[in-house]
Amino acid sequence: MIMEELVFFAICFIVLAMILLIRLIGGPTVADRAIAADSIDLLSDMALILFALYSGRSVFIDIAFITAILGFIGTTIIGRYLEGRL
Amino acid sequence: MRIVIDVLIVISLFFALAGVVGMIRMPDTFCRMQSSTNIATLGILGVLIAGILYSAVCLHDPAMAVKLAVMMVFYIITNPVGAHAIAKGAYKHGIRRVDEELACDQYGEDLEDEE
Amino acid sequence: MKRAKFSAVLVTTILCFVFWLLITGQITALIAGKPSIQVLAAGCIVSILVAVFTARFFIHESAWYLLRPDRFFTLLLYCIVIFPIELIKANCDVAFRAFSPKLPVNPGIVKIPTEMKSEYGKSMLANSITLTPGTITMDVAEQDGKTNLYIHWINVTSTDPEKAGDAIKGTLEKWVGRIWP
Repeated sequence: MIMEELVFFAICFIVLAMILLIRLIGGPTVADRAIAADSIDLLSDMALILFALYSGRSVFIDIAFITAILGFIGTTIIGRYLEGRL
Repeated sequence: MRIVIDVLIVISLFFALAGVVGMIRMPDTFCRMQSSTNIATLGILGVLIAGILYSAVCLHDPAMAVKLAVMMVFYIITNPVGAHAIAKGAYKHGIRRVDEELACDQYGEDLEDEE
Repeated sequence: MKRAKFSAVLVTTILCFVFWLLITGQITALIAGKPSIQVLAAGCIVSILVAVFTARFFIHESAWYLLRPDRFFTLLLYCIVIFPIELIKANCDVAFRAFSPKLPVNPGIVKIPTEMKSEYGKSMLANSITLTPGTITMDVAEQDGKTNLYIHWINVTSTDPEKAGDAIKGTLEKWVGRIWP
């Protein structure tokens, strides 16, 4: 059984990530941009997982995992930098 | 089975939409942070649980299901750490609400007492 | 910098090796009875190296603390039943606030007391509070021998520390206190 609607849901998540680009570009402060970038990372991760399920190849899940790790490290380091203790 | 997976993904899509709308509409930085937590919890959990069900039942690929479960635990552990780091950093950096005052700010009062 | 004990290094090695087995997909080969010796050896060496260098950041107290069955099953029950209920309630609340046309938010930072003693208890309570939408832990501070959490709350209903603590923590503190006092 192959579910074609998984690709449709993945496209919906990518559209949501595109909407968040407004906050990433025009956010008034640095923290807003950092949160928006983190959320875009999460949404694209979800799209990658759905595409991995559709195609049945687990390579995309590895990519999503590595993106998640990098997003976490980036968010934490931006937080530390804003606090002034890097 | 197909219906269960679809319902899980639609729930996750709804909460991701709520988080995105909240991030666009909320009035200040910390409230936007609360909305982004909305994406990071039920949004990602719905997709991951649906993925575990689909890869275990439909694809007969247990390695993929185990990988998704590890990813779920990883998200649960690391998300609050990042949110806490960026909230504290933004407060110490001097980002406040501009148009109105906060309802109460006991953290700022205690920080001033220490200095 | 203090040195790590041997039991802490051992537990960290076991955790790293289990993580390696899960992430390389060797766990299914191991169950089927034909594991790849090279992958297992590489994982063993890497996890021992990682554990020697990072065990002193990872485990500060007793290393075998969670191995008692009552603590372990309480943790499992907390993660599977108690916490998701709170999570879903808070998620629906914040989603409703985001969609409603008048934006009923009333943000503020409140200080709530906590009775946790151990480091793991404090961090687990703070992480649970941060993971529920609507509340973010901003700092943990000691004051007059008591531990206080500073929390950004999206809808302040009370500025009194005790009442705000009851409204935010709910049943979470009781369950975390059963695992780590």
